[in-house]
Amino acid sequence: MGLYIHIPFCMKKCNYCDFLSFVGVPQEQSDAYFQTLLQEIDYFSEDYRNIYYVDTVFIGGGTPSLIDSSYISKLMDAVRTGFEVDKNAEISIETNPKTVTKDKLKEYLNLGINRLSMGAQSCDDELLRYLGRVHTTDDFIKNYISARECGFKNINIDLIFGIPGQTLAVWKYTLNQVIGLCPEHISFYSLQLEEGTKFYSMLQKGTLTETDEKLDRSMYSYAIKLLSKSGYVHYEISNAAKNGYQCRHNLKYWSMEDYLGLGLGAHSFIEGTRFSNVISLEQYVNIGKEYKYKQKKMTDESISPFSCWQHHNTKEDNISDYLITVMRKTQGIQFDDFKNRFGIGLEQLYGNVLRKYQNQGLIEISADRVYFTEKGMDLANIFLAEFV
Amino acid sequence: MNSYQQNIRNFCIIAHIDHGKSTLADRIIENTGLVSHREMKEQFLDNMDLERERGITIKLQTTRLSYKAKDGNEYIFNLIDTPGHVDFTYEVSRSLAACEGAILIVDATQGVEAQTLANVYLALDENLEILPVINKIDLPSARPEDAIKEIEEVIGIEAHDAPLISAKEGIGIDELLEYIVNRVPAPKGDPEGKLKALIFDSYYDNYRGVVVYTRVFDGSIKKGDIIRLMNTKKKYEVTEVGVYSPGPVPVSKLSAGEVGYICASIKQVSDARVGDTITLDNDPASEVLPGYKKVQPMVYCGIYPAEGEKYENVRDALEKLQVNDAAFLFEPETSTALGFGFRCGFLGLLHMEIIVERLEREFDLGIITTSPSVIYKVVLNDGTEEMIQNPSNLPSPTMIDHIEEPIVKADIMIPKEYVGSIMELCQERRGKMLNMEYITENRVSLHYEMPLNEVIYDFFDALKSKTRGYGSLDYEFIRYQKSNLVKLDILLNKELVDAFSMIVHESNAYSRGRFVCEKLKEIIPPHQFEVPIQAAIGQKVIARETVKAYRKDVLAKCYGGDISRKRKLLEKQKEGKKRMRQFGSVEVPQEAFTAVLKYDDNK
Repeated sequence: MGLYIHIPFCMKKCNYCDFLSFVGVPQEQSDAYFQTLLQEIDYFSEDYRNIYYVDTVFIGGGTPSLIDSSYISKLMDAVRTGFEVDKNAEISIETNPKTVTKDKLKEYLNLGINRLSMGAQSCDDELLRYLGRVHTTDDFIKNYISARECGFKNINIDLIFGIPGQTLAVWKYTLNQVIGLCPEHISFYSLQLEEGTKFYSMLQKGTLTETDEKLDRSMYSYAIKLLSKSGYVHYEISNAAKNGYQCRHNLKYWSMEDYLGLGLGAHSFIEGTRFSNVISLEQYVNIGKEYKYKQKKMTDESISPFSCWQHHNTKEDNISDYLITVMRKTQGIQFDDFKNRFGIGLEQLYGNVLRKYQNQGLIEISADRVYFTEKGMDLANIFLAEFV
Repeated sequence: MNSYQQNIRNFCIIAHIDHGKSTLADRIIENTGLVSHREMKEQFLDNMDLERERGITIKLQTTRLSYKAKDGNEYIFNLIDTPGHVDFTYEVSRSLAACEGAILIVDATQGVEAQTLANVYLALDENLEILPVINKIDLPSARPEDAIKEIEEVIGIEAHDAPLISAKEGIGIDELLEYIVNRVPAPKGDPEGKLKALIFDSYYDNYRGVVVYTRVFDGSIKKGDIIRLMNTKKKYEVTEVGVYSPGPVPVSKLSAGEVGYICASIKQVSDARVGDTITLDNDPASEVLPGYKKVQPMVYCGIYPAEGEKYENVRDALEKLQVNDAAFLFEPETSTALGFGFRCGFLGLLHMEIIVERLEREFDLGIITTSPSVIYKVVLNDGTEEMIQNPSNLPSPTMIDHIEEPIVKADIMIPKEYVGSIMELCQERRGKMLNMEYITENRVSLHYEMPLNEVIYDFFDALKSKTRGYGSLDYEFIRYQKSNLVKLDILLNKELVDAFSMIVHESNAYSRGRFVCEKLKEIIPPHQFEVPIQAAIGQKVIARETVKAYRKDVLAKCYGGDISRKRKLLEKQKEGKKRMRQFGSVEVPQEAFTAVLKYDDNK
């Protein structure tokens, strides 16, 4: 089972970000939040520690590195007490270059955190400012070197392309800079303008022009080629890694494996049931305070007192979820795996659809699997929309 | 005059749309004590939801009321409501023929409108006593003196004693009722004479068949009579005679001067046509009542089942509507682009919009309507004539000697500050100005001859939008006229989509073609390939736009295992696809068909 832990605090909200995070939260509120996280771990541990084996942990945000590492320490203690954590577990933490210090990095390593994910986004300071990032390219590179010095052996760099005003040349420069640092893993996300973000309101006011799709796709295509040439395996639409360094936690999302999300707004998928937590900080904390959750357990239909939504997947839901997530992997869907899981062949269920999109050049069908072509990765939603 | 006739008052209310006709009818009904205020739905007489929503009356409703006047006598009021739109002139004229008087409502804030005038002329044609009434006097912008002056100057009837009322607030209604008693003449006619009764409306009832609204002029009619409809020459046995008060109340007979309904196992309304004369089969009248005419549709369009809708469902619904609407015609037709559907004929654009909306709302059907078209007279080289109402059926240009199109006389009333822009609009629409007159200092009446084809292309909306809603329009067919017309075709990805074809005047072809191409470019979503949109006359392309291919449709990120978010996005995408119609390799949203017809303010 994968464990995701959400830390919803940031120094500043980035202009493109619509993730659940808060800026300028007072100390006592973040204290209360961590207190509640420990309660939530406690709630699940009773049922889960003897059944599930935690082999990946992902501390995401928000900006987990913003928080004093003593909180992360308490959190990791609770995780190890509450769950059976595999000794070879992949344990990641998301960091923002501006907020990381050498002391924090050392502390993370001490806590057994063995994978660092750095939100570099770009190596162009002007674009970083435009994105609303608090760090500079210099901050990022210094941090990266510190992390190596401290002994991190598995580092991911997050990058964004398709930023308004970004040229292909600037993107190439960023990619080459980052590849030059030899991180084990690189994520490269095409910028999405999401409702509720600063960028979105700029778009509506007409002060922001969306990046031309053609340019966006040439950036993407350049990234795939350069990364492959540089020894990275392009294994998911927006992810590449050196051999053996694929993000095991994220792979669970793309392989329909179980994961438990802890913290505000976190999503879980456990044995065919999807559920998600409340998104109000106050509400979350109050549930921890007031809810006698342990007594409630046996009488309540809901999986967790902290969740506000749950859905038991039918077999059709599972097939649909499987298709729309597993196809994100470049290797696509193995026919055998599909048949083993669902007892019916993919070809038998969706033969016509597969052929239709094969003819359109979106997917490739081989003897053992179906996967996206390069064009298919650009237009994945067209194919995936057939399965919802 | 027979004594019972002295206490009958048959009247209707005529007014421009929105001048408060239905509200006044409500007040009259309420104040005569038939229905208590609490039981009343707003606008009692308009009993179709659609009518209530649009605030217009489409279908006539007749109600018998009883009123105790100040003279101590009990009067029977037969209130005959009339539709207030240009498309239903004939129906209006037949309801007027059933009355002795007409209440003319003039809005104190707006004055006399084109439609008011048109209806007044119809009423005068029927020799009705006109009772002007000034409504909406409660509004701050009311100018009752001006309205009275307008009535006297424009219509030429006395209006100085017109009651000043507010139907909405119930002001002046009692005075109005007395005014009706005193001013509307009692009906005449010989109850012992040979039966002559006018059909002025009919509707279909699931249990009783067609219910016919009638005004008896001579003689009487009762259950068991064998009647003959003198124009359609059909015979029926009367199964029920009654009056509406407000629900159906059977009576023993209806005599000369009375208004009521009859049932006679008539299967559909087209068998009991408005304007026809009912007489007794064994003792017939020697001549028919004047004014009967078989109404002809003026506007045609194609109605097709949308993606996923069954042809049979659309056919059944059309049949049901036709049972109740003699003016609505349909027959099967096929379109290469849209498959099997129907060509439908309507009295006018409003009539068409109402039918389409009823199909969508009452019958919950998914349908596509094609560009409305008028009937063209095509004269071929060999001298034969063809009437064409579907642009796709236009013979090859080499076979055509010339084409003639229907011309209407359009009367437009506007405040004077809009004269310039409306004259410009009429000119754009190939109007030929006949004359212009000042009705008052501030209001102008423009008279044009205009091709009907231009009027149905959203002329009314354009008029409304250019005059901030103050313009009004009335039109009537006058003749066919030779004209330089061409068929404009639209090609998507090089393939002709026949459902978009339209017949336009050569001088407008270029701008219309460009407009349609631009509209379609906005509406057709990007495909995996470029989609050229072309407007063409024959082989000649006169306008072109291109929908760029899209290159990116992928979610970069999955948010911390939040699959539901991705799923929602994909579901939305799939839903959008359902509303698409496939033409060759191109997917077109269904709204494209209506969007290309809409008047564009920014044009």
